[in-house]
Amino acid sequence: MKHITYIFLVLFLCSTLSCKKDFLDKNPQGELTTEQLTTQDGVEALLIGAYGLLNGNVNGQYGTYGASPSQWLLGEVDSDDAHKGSSNGDQPNMNLIEQHAPTSTNDNLANLWNNCFEGIQRCNNTLKFLAALQGGPSTARFPTARANEIQGEAKLLRAHYYFFLVRIFKNVPYITEATTTATVANDKDIYPNIITDLEAAVTNLNTSKPKGDIGRVDKYAAQAYLGKVYLYQKNYSAAYDLLNTVIIAKPDLAILPYTDNFDVTKENGPESVMAVQHSVGADGTSGDNGNVGDVLNFPYGNGLPITCCGFFQPSVDLANAFKVDVNGLPLLDGSYRNNPYQSDFGLTAAQKASYQVDNTIAFDPRIDYTMGRRGVPYRDWGIMAGDTWIRDVGNGGPFVPYKNVIEAAQVASNTAPGNTNITGLNVNLIRLADIYLMAAECQVELGGLDRALTLVNKVRQRAALLSPKAVNGVPVAAYKIGLYPGFSGSNYARTAVRFERRLELAMEGHRFYDLVRWGTTKQTLESYFNFEGNYFSYLKGIVIEARDDYFPLPQDQIDRSQGVLKQSPGY
Amino acid sequence: MQRKLLLLKRTAILLLMSLCLAFATRAQSKITGKVTSSDDKMPVIGASIKIKNAPGGTITDGNGLFTLEAKTTDVLVISFVGYTPKEVTVGRQINLSIVLQPTNNNLTEIVVTGYTTQRKKDLTGAVSVVDVVQLKAQPAASAVEALQGKAPGVQIVTDGAPGATPQIRVRGFSTINNNDPLYVIDGVPYEGKLSWLNQNDIESLQVLKDASSASIYGARANNGVVIITTKKGVDGPPKITLDAYYGVQAPRAGSFPQMMSPIQYANYLYTSYHNAGLPVSTGTNYGTGPTPTLPEYLVAGSATGQNITAADADPSKYNYSRDPATFYQITRANQQGTNWFKEMTHTAPIQNYQLSATGGSENATYTFSGGYLNQDGTLKYTGFKRYNFRSNTTISAFNKKVRFGENAQYSYSEGHGLGVNPNVSGEYQDEGSAIGFAYRIPTIIPVYDIEGNFAGSRGSGIGNAQNPVAFLYRAKDNVNKSNFFFGNVFGEADIIDGLVARTSFGLRYENYNGLAFIYPNLEFSEGSNTNSLNEDMGYNTEWTWTNTLTYKKVFNEKHRLTILAGTESISNRSRELDGGRNNYFILGSPDYSYLNTGSSNISNGSFGSVGSLFSLFGRADYSYNDRYLASITMRRDGSSNFGPQNKYGYFPAASIAWRMSEESFMKSMKWITDFKLRAGYGKTGNQRIPGFQYINRYQSSIINSAYGTGGGNAVTTGVWQNAYTNPDVKWEALSSINLGADFTLLEGTFDGSFDWYDRKTKDMLYPVPLPSTAVGLASSPYVNVGDMDNKGFEISLGYHYGHKNEHAVKFDIGLNFSRNMNKITKLAPTVSSQPYGVFRSLTTSILETGEPFGSFYGYKVQGIYQNAADITNSASYSGARIGGFRYMDINGDGAITPADRTIIGNPNPAFLYSLSLNVSYKNFDIAAFFNGVQGNDLYEATRYFTDFPTFDGARSTRLLHAWSPTNTSSMIPSPYVGVSDLEYASSSYYVQNGSFLRFKNLQVGYTIPAKKLFGSNSGFSKLRIYVSATNIFTITKYTGLDPEVSQETNTFSAPGVDRGIYPSPRQYLIGINAAF
Repeated sequence: MKHITYIFLVLFLCSTLSCKKDFLDKNPQGELTTEQLTTQDGVEALLIGAYGLLNGNVNGQYGTYGASPSQWLLGEVDSDDAHKGSSNGDQPNMNLIEQHAPTSTNDNLANLWNNCFEGIQRCNNTLKFLAALQGGPSTARFPTARANEIQGEAKLLRAHYYFFLVRIFKNVPYITEATTTATVANDKDIYPNIITDLEAAVTNLNTSKPKGDIGRVDKYAAQAYLGKVYLYQKNYSAAYDLLNTVIIAKPDLAILPYTDNFDVTKENGPESVMAVQHSVGADGTSGDNGNVGDVLNFPYGNGLPITCCGFFQPSVDLANAFKVDVNGLPLLDGSYRNNPYQSDFGLTAAQKASYQVDNTIAFDPRIDYTMGRRGVPYRDWGIMAGDTWIRDVGNGGPFVPYKNVIEAAQVASNTAPGNTNITGLNVNLIRLADIYLMAAECQVELGGLDRALTLVNKVRQRAALLSPKAVNGVPVAAYKIGLYPGFSGSNYARTAVRFERRLELAMEGHRFYDLVRWGTTKQTLESYFNFEGNYFSYLKGIVIEARDDYFPLPQDQIDRSQGVLKQSPGY
Repeated sequence: MQRKLLLLKRTAILLLMSLCLAFATRAQSKITGKVTSSDDKMPVIGASIKIKNAPGGTITDGNGLFTLEAKTTDVLVISFVGYTPKEVTVGRQINLSIVLQPTNNNLTEIVVTGYTTQRKKDLTGAVSVVDVVQLKAQPAASAVEALQGKAPGVQIVTDGAPGATPQIRVRGFSTINNNDPLYVIDGVPYEGKLSWLNQNDIESLQVLKDASSASIYGARANNGVVIITTKKGVDGPPKITLDAYYGVQAPRAGSFPQMMSPIQYANYLYTSYHNAGLPVSTGTNYGTGPTPTLPEYLVAGSATGQNITAADADPSKYNYSRDPATFYQITRANQQGTNWFKEMTHTAPIQNYQLSATGGSENATYTFSGGYLNQDGTLKYTGFKRYNFRSNTTISAFNKKVRFGENAQYSYSEGHGLGVNPNVSGEYQDEGSAIGFAYRIPTIIPVYDIEGNFAGSRGSGIGNAQNPVAFLYRAKDNVNKSNFFFGNVFGEADIIDGLVARTSFGLRYENYNGLAFIYPNLEFSEGSNTNSLNEDMGYNTEWTWTNTLTYKKVFNEKHRLTILAGTESISNRSRELDGGRNNYFILGSPDYSYLNTGSSNISNGSFGSVGSLFSLFGRADYSYNDRYLASITMRRDGSSNFGPQNKYGYFPAASIAWRMSEESFMKSMKWITDFKLRAGYGKTGNQRIPGFQYINRYQSSIINSAYGTGGGNAVTTGVWQNAYTNPDVKWEALSSINLGADFTLLEGTFDGSFDWYDRKTKDMLYPVPLPSTAVGLASSPYVNVGDMDNKGFEISLGYHYGHKNEHAVKFDIGLNFSRNMNKITKLAPTVSSQPYGVFRSLTTSILETGEPFGSFYGYKVQGIYQNAADITNSASYSGARIGGFRYMDINGDGAITPADRTIIGNPNPAFLYSLSLNVSYKNFDIAAFFNGVQGNDLYEATRYFTDFPTFDGARSTRLLHAWSPTNTSSMIPSPYVGVSDLEYASSSYYVQNGSFLRFKNLQVGYTIPAKKLFGSNSGFSKLRIYVSATNIFTITKYTGLDPEVSQETNTFSAPGVDRGIYPSPRQYLIGINAAF
């Protein structure tokens, strides 16, 4: 009996006193700590993470439309190029963006904000861990060259995320690796900060890709980006110098195929200066590293190689903008809206049944590499069949997007398992034609009309090489594209360059931001709503106010900031 | 080992010797004995010992001891107030050990409290002792469900999902964090759901409601402690009982939301365009004329609506293929309209069987039971099955000085069908569930197409909801299985007189696995031909080692003292592995579907968690003369969940009570049988947060942080910071004061209790969402976000008729009433207010100082804009329109902006009440139970889909009474195309009165006089049959499916937000209780 008593007492004492001290010290499961990550590998991995946000997405396959690198929603649907499309009831918040009536609770705006700040956090963490490592024991440090390069990569990425934010929200708080508060006020112009980062990137990056990785950013990307930001700042000479440096370093645009920019088999070619790498199929995910931002933007219909949702439909106005005069030049005076081409839109069922595409219209060939329209071969998918490819013609019109779509032959190897609407097609952030046209703009403003003419004509020269689309050997349009013989004056030149920019880069996420920096939002969009409103009554009579150059800050972020963030005027 | 054997030998010799001595004694001799009570194992002081039919006797002393001269043939009669007298033949014994059983009087009832037991009359804290007999009068799949209304201040919210554990809240919400109570089952703490426990295995159930009673459980006791003791064996021959019932559950069709018929919906659409001044563009279904017409077909191949020609609808073209290129479906429009709620529900059987055997001898007792429950869901193709076995054994040795035994439970449960996981209600609720889709799918869609395959939303403008019947059907082979072992072994030894050492090692081991199938759903507007199988397996394990020393002693006959000291170590770990693949060669065959037969999209993953707790605790209970009672407890918990700064928490408590009825001035009042006043104060804690909040954490993740740096489709995996730190995170603490009174009048005719309490939660833990500028899209750390106060009172009253005098008619009436007032008293300086509860674009709830927890948040609807002047003259917003909501301009700045959002409702009930009625007449017994909740609001979030033009889909018939120039008093916005998103933002339009009174249960039983009928040798000791019905009627104004709205998650409750719940059915049962 006594023994049993002892056993109990011993047990009792054991459990009280001899409990190992580390009983309560556990390690996180499947997670790394700061110590485990303060290494060269750790910093490199954080940098990869910072790149990882370029596709606008942390994980998942749907919902990252505002942050999509193609900026189809915030750069195009809110401009005169495109409609949200699909049916009225799907993603109603996008209708409000298209109609410039968003409120601060629009999820697409929150999406851009949150994803860009996630990207910024990752850049900041890369820089923070890099500094900690380089400040530590010399044996653990990176060689200076790589350390500098990492800084360059991280700062270019950070500048990119801030640039995406500042274009939409204007009043953006600036957070760096040194920020210790949860947020800072959004009352300062952050362009100088963006420029500082980009300057550092230009200095620190080399003309060869870091670590030989083709998907990373190099000095050209930094120069082009800085040039672009200078252009936004109307600092034309600084912008031109940088842009021209890249132009000189790259092959002549005139010989680079236009279609390579939208061909999943020709990615990262000479025209790709900075592109978001999209990868599918090999990573074991159902598309998390693919082009999820454009997941909705596919024709909608049974039996198509890829079908989804029917969003992002080119406008009637954009289609007509591709009309050319007898010289193959665009109709800069707006007369392209006369006798508008509208495919089979608005025809009766009987008329639709017998519809034939009108092959007598003189079009810039780029139209059929920018949008799908009835009667025209659409990539290798066959002839675009009209309404059966479209979710709700009455809501989105007769056209479907093209540039973000891939060939049917590539579906098996370049779409995500189970989600064919997530492709591996890269999205160009800056491509060489963009640089040519930005440089041309600079020259127009600097008075160098000749140089501007040369640059624009290079773009057109290359476009002229596009093979005409034909059915049974018969071209589906009277394709024509001519070179400008000369710019008669800077106003004409400005109009021509800006028009060229629209045609060349249509549906690539530039248009709305271009209108804003040109200061032509009100005049362009109201005129557009007036025209396009003839087809889509929901656009009729929309008035553009001063506030509409920017969008409201997400309400939940204002709420979370405990009063630090202020909503932009007008919202 | 050698020494132990030696010890055994010696003990055996001693025992033999004492036997020999006993044989030698035959004449009258001096015998000694000790009287103890069976309930608390304490000596009975002042018990009288008399020799039957002879003079002489004595009473026990302060240690329960007595000495008496008696003959071997004498029969001793031992008696004491409150205990059943016992007769003992002296025989050859010289040292008697007499155990008195308490009479069936609830004052001497023994209550299991923290790590020890107490007589009910000695309780000083607020402890609800649930009448288990009453509990079992309401057969329920879950052991918790029947607790509804049985304990004042304990709110149970049930839903209709098979096998679900209802939500249990003790005295309101004590935190924004997890509000589930701690369960202590046979002494082993358990956190989680109770779907594995069989109601019939419960012997007693107590709820420790205040800190003075619960703080012995320290860091896990904030939400109250539910102490469950399972059936133990008792001395005697085996007693076998069988409990069985079978019944049906019928969906309460009357509670289904009403949706517009197709023509009503078409008219609504037309009106929407007319009101917006736009040409009607409704797709191809409703014609193009001035008034809508209905189509004959919805879809035929790629043709839709009224564009479908006879050739399109030629059935020979029909091809229900897996390939989108050849898929050709022909679906007729259901012009009458489909009642989707009706289509997806059915009357479902429920059955339950439990067989148990119990018995034992003086030194060993046992209970063994086995049970089987099979409950189909009223949602088609869902169900829950459970098999459970339990064995409880106690063995005593060394003259009963050492006791050891085990309590073990094994339970196998299986949930099948869509999202039926008894532990996560979120999977069968919300918009992506079958119920969610039933709110969204247009009524014009039929369940089946012309060939009997599932029809869907493919077509023109009929939205993107899935066919809920198809959705349920395709998940019919989904299954979640769980093997759950829960039990403990214990040993107990009397070390010196009154001192008991006890050690208990408890183990919980659960492994579970699940299969989920996805089938092609090409009939769905956003369907795909993907088919896949996902499979998961995992385990949860936790061990609890508890050691206590208890010293119980009575001094000088008047001082009763219990001292307890103990330690407890808890360690848990969980791990889960899951995987999936797409593209199976054949579909619909669970026998074929193994992961390696899938041909693409190979995925796999695993994750896990760890945690540990180490605690020291002590307790002292003292009573003087049964009159003045005091108790103090102290617990120190160390938790792995907190960083070095805040690893340990201290949780003290003290309480006193005064049994006034023992005082001489009250003893004269014969009608007062017992009257006790109680007061207590104490602290408890909460540490239920995910671990490691105190450090920054990073993750290497292929989906979250990879990039194709090399171009092409290969990616390099990087690292991101997935969780941010709060080094200051510390214990959530609750301090509570409780004042109460218990009374029993007229020898038990009336009884009741009253409690008043004030519970202050300090430093509630909540992962306050930080701005993206601080955390990007990673997890925000938990912070101690603020303080909350719950004040309230509880009244429980009982009337018992006919028990004392053995009347033919006996009845009991029980009334419970409780009121709880909740208020957020403080938020951390970094948080001014905290909106939360995001559902689509709604943010439903807010934490705000001075307001009740979970208050609904949004715009206040003031009216409808009647005309253009109305818009100009009142505050408006971009998109304000005639016939749209006019909101209240809360900040008075002349414009409606997010700054005008305010508190629009309170999900906390003003009071809860319940009434139970038990009547027995001869062999008949009737039990009825009513349950009510009053004064709470509910947030009918499903209106987001049914009342606003958010999605093409179903619309509520409410909108038939919408505002129009001829119906200007309506508060429902008129149909309108392209409304501002402010119109369907969170507003008072969603908020409804959630009060209800429910006739929850009625049971009528008849006890067959088995002995009379079958003869006394038949073996039957009891045979009772009964019929019962539940959810007989509900009185409520709430327009949703069911006013009992349970939360979808345990944490961060947005209470009262109804996103489509699994409605509780009406249930009819027939059952039998038999004992042999």
